[in-house]
Amino acid sequence: MTASTTPHQHPSADDPRILLDDQIGQFETVPPYPPRTEREAEFYSLGDGEMFLNMGPQHPSTHGVLRVVLKINGESVVDLDPVLGYLHRGVEKLCENSDFHHIISQVDPLEYVSSLFCEWSPVMAFEKLLDVQVPRRAEYIRVLTGELNRIASHALFQGWMALDLGGLTPILYSFIERDEIVDMLAAVTGQKLLFNYFRIGGVNGDLNHEFMSRLGDWMSRATAQHEANTQLLNENEIFVRRMRGIGVLDRDTAFRMAVTGPNLRASGVPYDVRRAHPYSVYPELEFDIPTRGHGRGGDSLDRYLLRVDEVKQSLRIIDQCLHNMPDGPIMAKLPRLLRPRPGRAWAAIEGPRGLYGTYAISDGTDQPFRMKIHDPSFVHLQLVGQLMKGNLIADTMAVMASLDPVMGGVDK
Amino acid sequence: MDRALRKRLETRFGEQLTGPVRQRHDQTEIRIRPADVPEVMRALHDDPELAFEILVDLAGVDTGTHMQVVYHLWSATTPDWLRVIADGMPRDDPRAPSLTGLWPGAEWMERETYDMFGIIFEGNRDLRRIYMPPDYTSFPLRKDFYLADDSARSPGGGVRHMEQTQAPSQATPSVVRRTVKA
Amino acid sequence: MAMRPDGPDDVRGRGVQPDGDPQAAARSGGSGSSLVTSADRDVAQPIVVPNTLWTSVQPDAYGGVDASPFTHLRNLEGSDLVLSDTARWGQLEVIPTKADLIIDLIRMNSLWPLLSGLACCAIEMMSAATSKNDMDRWGMFPFRASPRQADVLIVAGTLTTKMAGPLVRLWEQMPEPKWCVAMGDCTCSGGRYKRSYSTIEGIDRVMPVDVYVPGCPPRPEGLIYGMMKLGQLVKERRGHWPERPIGPSVPEDV
Repeated sequence: MTASTTPHQHPSADDPRILLDDQIGQFETVPPYPPRTEREAEFYSLGDGEMFLNMGPQHPSTHGVLRVVLKINGESVVDLDPVLGYLHRGVEKLCENSDFHHIISQVDPLEYVSSLFCEWSPVMAFEKLLDVQVPRRAEYIRVLTGELNRIASHALFQGWMALDLGGLTPILYSFIERDEIVDMLAAVTGQKLLFNYFRIGGVNGDLNHEFMSRLGDWMSRATAQHEANTQLLNENEIFVRRMRGIGVLDRDTAFRMAVTGPNLRASGVPYDVRRAHPYSVYPELEFDIPTRGHGRGGDSLDRYLLRVDEVKQSLRIIDQCLHNMPDGPIMAKLPRLLRPRPGRAWAAIEGPRGLYGTYAISDGTDQPFRMKIHDPSFVHLQLVGQLMKGNLIADTMAVMASLDPVMGGVDK
Repeated sequence: MDRALRKRLETRFGEQLTGPVRQRHDQTEIRIRPADVPEVMRALHDDPELAFEILVDLAGVDTGTHMQVVYHLWSATTPDWLRVIADGMPRDDPRAPSLTGLWPGAEWMERETYDMFGIIFEGNRDLRRIYMPPDYTSFPLRKDFYLADDSARSPGGGVRHMEQTQAPSQATPSVVRRTVKA
Repeated sequence: MAMRPDGPDDVRGRGVQPDGDPQAAARSGGSGSSLVTSADRDVAQPIVVPNTLWTSVQPDAYGGVDASPFTHLRNLEGSDLVLSDTARWGQLEVIPTKADLIIDLIRMNSLWPLLSGLACCAIEMMSAATSKNDMDRWGMFPFRASPRQADVLIVAGTLTTKMAGPLVRLWEQMPEPKWCVAMGDCTCSGGRYKRSYSTIEGIDRVMPVDVYVPGCPPRPEGLIYGMMKLGQLVKERRGHWPERPIGPSVPEDV
């Protein structure tokens, strides 16, 4: 080995263990292959004064692993390309190879913040395949725990919204609220996050004393606590001014982009699956459908305030459930080995992010032939590019956080 | 079960339906050919009696013998969900027209279907992989893509049918189920 | 050209002499030494370090070397080619002194984690960091966004094949001393996604792990227990498990 006096081409010669950019094509902001689609060609060609900025899969925002390539001109974002797939776990393929009962625990981590809704939708689809009637008490328990989970999810949304904009305090309040609710749910389901509670034909365990005492205790101060938490943010001028007028989504765009849930309601459309296409015992319950942004479309602040309104409605529903809770069994009588008739079923529910649907095909065996999960966050992320045109880089977080995506569901 | 919806669909799309209008629980299902998809969807969207405004879901299905694309729609005029099955695409070259002209929100759903099944949507401006890395060559949700199940290699494996190896070397065309009427 | 005695340069990188024989380097008067030529000790001259650790696909890259015998990090760490980490071991490299004890105590009590929440376990990690189960009590309050400022990489959530590259790059960007905590079943062993086509069965296939915290998701108290164990590791074992293999039973040809 002769000493080479030529200057070394390797820029970081003192530690060859570090992988550098020119060795790993995949880590470049711009893909190393020529563009293969029209949109790729359009996006990855720079105009005058533009540059790419990569918000990599690891970033301080807390939604999960989402990579966003921003094309910026100075500080304003010209275009935006989200890159998904960093959390793709192949859940649909695993569901095809699982029993119907096993699927309930498989789909929990999809929208991990609101697991019960992720379970509810496939369970409803399987009940349609099997023609199973769920007992009324089980339905009421499902609604009760579901609405608790919705409140927990919206509380977390408030905290994340502030955290993404830089406020470090509201997330502590959100987690206080969320921890109380999930401890309650842990008393009845046994788990804090991925509940695995709903079963085909009912729920797993009945309400117990600890759950009821915690719930009663919490309900007596829930409204006041929620008011105090939201007041922290609602009256904060920086928060409001950062969100007002940013990311306006109007009614027509929302329909064409297949938006559902709070994002659609914040654009003035009173579409809620619980009322538009009732399921479970929601026809018997009284609650309003809050909407915001009539006429002009909804901005980020509308989406945030709408979720605050929804928490109040959820509290109303929980109140009614507690008062009208019937007695009876919590599980329908079903055989251990479930073999539905060959057929297809679709079930959609209103999750905290939007319409959460499952399309299940059965072929007569004890495993579903195909299970397609429709996740609202997946559809809503397409909106970010459109809503961000002309806004600043710092508004990217406001828009994305206000759409409330959860990457587990986006990437399945 | 909306009988009136069934009548409306049969009168409107009589010759384009390749099968009877099926109804079960709260779902109405129609089957069409993939080539008819843009026309039928536009009629479903624009016709004031049908007015299916919201495209809720776009799914791909691999039945083992052929591929399907399944759309779910919602309308304020009927209490039922409408399921449109575009059936009969060949497994080796599945092509379907894209709905992005009518619903731009279908773009990513079609990308996902392409990524998982290989169904090419003609007219989608952005048909590239969305979940898998861009240099991935397989289509995971196809029926001939088998999961490598290492629980089958364990001593206790193979006892339950879920643990049996489904290695590609053991895959014959007969393994893929043909009797599915999906 | 007088024979230069082995100076303090040799401590820097023991792995860079291709034949590992300091005599040969000294004998040839420094012309065989890959560190520095005797004639020009000019600062402006590039310090040329031929690569003996890996090969490139281009045969004449890195000054053209033979194939390295080390293909896995596991083999490398056991060998003597690894750069010695003076940050972890004592200055005398053998006997830890009181100063090192204090440094370890300082490190243990202010382990700054990197925000690396991938999936559901991230929620429990955040829950461990917020009011009810407060990790701030043990100094772990700032979840740094930049890997350059972080000590601990708490991998919380499923690692997929697409994310593996960025995650390993994050790990490599973290400066020594660094530790890795595998939180949740998915990072310990693949968990419920072990059969999936796009997940990595446990992050110890791609990076060395110090503490495994099982659970799906582990309760915040469980994560705190794991961090306590990590603190114990930092303080009592000088931050380094004696034999730290990569992966529990990863076969050779993986």
